[in-house]
Amino acid sequence: MARRPHLYRVMLLSLCWVLSSLAVAQQPSNTQQPSSAPQNPTSPEKSTPGTEPKAGAPTENATPNQKAAPSAPAIHNDVVIKGGTILTVTHGKIENGSIYIHNGKIAAVGQSVNAPAGATVIDASGKFVMPGIIDSHSHIALDDDVNEPTSPVTPQMMMRDAFDYNDKAIYRALAGGVTTSLLLHGSANMIGGQAVVIKHKYGLGRDELIFPGAPQSIKFASGENPKRVYGSKNQLPATRMGNFEVMRAAFIEAREYMRSWDDYSAKVKKGDKDATPPKKDLKLEALADVLRGKLLVQIHCYRADEFLTEMEIAKEFGYKIRAFHHALEAYKVADKIAANGVAIATWPDWWGFKYEAWDGIPWNAAISAHKGVRVALKSDSEDVTRRLNQEAGKVIHYGMTEDEALKSITLNPAWIIGVDERVGSIDVGKDADISIWNSYPLSSTALVDKVLIDGDLYFDRSLPGLGLTHYKEVQ
Amino acid sequence: MLKNLIVLFVLVAAVAAQSKQPKSKPASAPNATSMAPSTNETIALKGGKLLTITHGVIENGVVVMQNGRITAVGGPGTSIPTGAKVVDVTGMTVYPGLIDSETHLGLTEISADRMTNDELENSDEIMPHMHVYDAFHAETALIPVTRLNGITNAVVAPASGDTLPGQDSFIQLAGASATEMLTVRDIAMPLNFTGAQRRNQSFETAKFPFTRMGMATQLRQAFIDALDYEQKLAAYDKKKSSSDEKEKDKAGAPPKRDLKLEALLPYLHGKKPVVLAAEQPNDLLTALDLANEFHLKVILNHVTHSAALLDKVAATGLPVIVGPIYEQPKESERYDAVYSLPAQLAKRGIKIAFASYDSHQARNLPYAAGYAVAFGLPPEEALKALTVNPAQIWGVDKDLGSLEVGKLGNVVVASGDPLDVKTDVKRVFIQGHEIPLVSKQTQLRDQYWK
Repeated sequence: MARRPHLYRVMLLSLCWVLSSLAVAQQPSNTQQPSSAPQNPTSPEKSTPGTEPKAGAPTENATPNQKAAPSAPAIHNDVVIKGGTILTVTHGKIENGSIYIHNGKIAAVGQSVNAPAGATVIDASGKFVMPGIIDSHSHIALDDDVNEPTSPVTPQMMMRDAFDYNDKAIYRALAGGVTTSLLLHGSANMIGGQAVVIKHKYGLGRDELIFPGAPQSIKFASGENPKRVYGSKNQLPATRMGNFEVMRAAFIEAREYMRSWDDYSAKVKKGDKDATPPKKDLKLEALADVLRGKLLVQIHCYRADEFLTEMEIAKEFGYKIRAFHHALEAYKVADKIAANGVAIATWPDWWGFKYEAWDGIPWNAAISAHKGVRVALKSDSEDVTRRLNQEAGKVIHYGMTEDEALKSITLNPAWIIGVDERVGSIDVGKDADISIWNSYPLSSTALVDKVLIDGDLYFDRSLPGLGLTHYKEVQ
Repeated sequence: MLKNLIVLFVLVAAVAAQSKQPKSKPASAPNATSMAPSTNETIALKGGKLLTITHGVIENGVVVMQNGRITAVGGPGTSIPTGAKVVDVTGMTVYPGLIDSETHLGLTEISADRMTNDELENSDEIMPHMHVYDAFHAETALIPVTRLNGITNAVVAPASGDTLPGQDSFIQLAGASATEMLTVRDIAMPLNFTGAQRRNQSFETAKFPFTRMGMATQLRQAFIDALDYEQKLAAYDKKKSSSDEKEKDKAGAPPKRDLKLEALLPYLHGKKPVVLAAEQPNDLLTALDLANEFHLKVILNHVTHSAALLDKVAATGLPVIVGPIYEQPKESERYDAVYSLPAQLAKRGIKIAFASYDSHQARNLPYAAGYAVAFGLPPEEALKALTVNPAQIWGVDKDLGSLEVGKLGNVVVASGDPLDVKTDVKRVFIQGHEIPLVSKQTQLRDQYWK
């Protein structure tokens, strides 16, 4: 096989991680690049790893993600990260391992990898290498425009319209190892707006920070916040009864709207030239997208009874819930949440800040994971997003396994966002979003040394000033 | 006869009340804050790695606690009194109970529910006569939660919304009642000057003080009024105690007692420390000027964005309560500008202590210290800033802050490094009593994790 580099390369690109790492291990560590590999790293590659269909799903977590499109062609050089302890997330730990990155994608990972001679080498000896951290609940970079608190149903709000790509919070999270965040609407409304998914490429332009091809998420809420916001104005909803009534009424209206469009289409199809189209309504169109299953539904929800009601309503109207966010009482009904295939995005230990958070316990993540729920740890905070590694360390203390804890800030939040085929683990074919740490990352004392996104270096602690590579500081 | 009957009646009533008391509480809910029944049991922790703080690390060591205090600390050869209960803590790390230098424990239960909050009297900026011991709720569910991470003592402060919000108390996180838990009442007085004490009304609704100038002037006037009040009192006392009858008559009516001004006097005499909170350089300098003007005894608090003044701070020799180190840097600052502050202070020889500035999350205090280690603070300095430094700063180092003979038996046994998030606290002793590691949260855990 070693004498047939072309075949080897095809295998490297298309096989699942087990085979690729085996194949790589058979290569001498300092061999020349395979002849089929591009001499010019900027030239377009016909068979880049990202465009290859995966032969084997990397984990049980993987779900087909039809919407995720490949990134724009990468323009940077080949990169090799050498000598670190690699926490792959999906296939354990590789001591003294290497990662070869080509065109922004992970092209090989193993004890040693085969890379072009001209590749940029990042020496990670004595360091820990893991995927970039993923925050599945964030409101940074939205200025004060997190909530449109003027109606309890605002699914037509697009967070992208408020996205402030210059917000330094993006940088500070990057310096904490975060590479992808889900920027959500707030929880004032039962049905809030549609999220934007970003990569933390701080210093680049707005459109370059937006995660290409990420599916669209929508934020729902429940409980005290909508109650308080509208109840204090003496409007519906002021109770949990009102909350859920508002939601049901919205979906009933959306069904009517879909029906009127279906009727119209049927008439047109029949050749009825007098048929008048119904009024296009952005709000109902967005709700219809929920019912059509086009949006990932992310629900802010604390209490056990409300998880059950939310799941009943979803069943009644035929949509799927992707994740409960905050989910402090998930441990009380974890088996039911797991049975519905709903994930949770929670904090390790927040509690008591309001009545619906009174029964929050730091064992929530561990109990829920133990009962089969896919658990992510998120920040919902400009502060905590900077140290999600510590948060993941905490849940180990509260009974989660180290592997699950690592997943809770990488692959599981990637699944919640719907980008788990693209990021969240160190696997061949995935985006090269990688954080390099000076010591074992799930601890109090670990520091991020470097962060790469799509194979390109964005943060380097050893640099003076802000430690950024793509940002020009105004003197 | 009648007297005897009354005594008998009182006795019977007392017994009846006592026997009733346990029934009024559900059997499953322990009195979370009370200590184990008082006994004279001697406890010996054997085989652990002792972080003594003041005299190094002792491997495979022994700590003996008797009558609430530490009676022996040493290596494996340390003699254990006969009859002592020996607890094998091989493989464990043993350290003094941690001290949180600013919390609101006992002043809040559910943050969003005003009825459960007694953190701040915000009707006026100058409220030095508020005493947190008057509101301290010993039975709060938050204290057992906090103890579970090895925090045994804390300063309880009012919230920082007023310039002078009241006076702090020092607490022990276990005790039969508030009386035993409030170990030092009115230990210090916060003086907040961060700009956040301004009420920020609009121009149309503005009331004095609207600006930092106003805040400083208001404070200065309060101090002058207090000194003036004291002089009037002294003058009255002098006349009143005069042997000259004419002078005595001139004394007239005594000055009306003023609790607000009276509360300031121990601080104006430097008998107790003022905890001076400032963040940015201009505020720090203004606040220090005020403190010097009135000869206050100062403990600094925060100094979060005053990197340029740290040498000046060091020159004052004042200790600093540092944090929260998770405070956001200023827009132009590097991401680690605040994380690295404890290291920057310690490097200059400034005595630092950590605080959570929290209640529900006070348990995370050691992790903040751990994060400061990541950004350059030597680990032994971080541990000191949770133990012996705050004990000295608050004047309780005779009893707390290290594993030393004669100090209180506030001792923690954990699975590893006290500063690491993965470390699990296994045992907590307060005044030599083992505290059950039970909280509202462990009860819910045990109910649902089956």
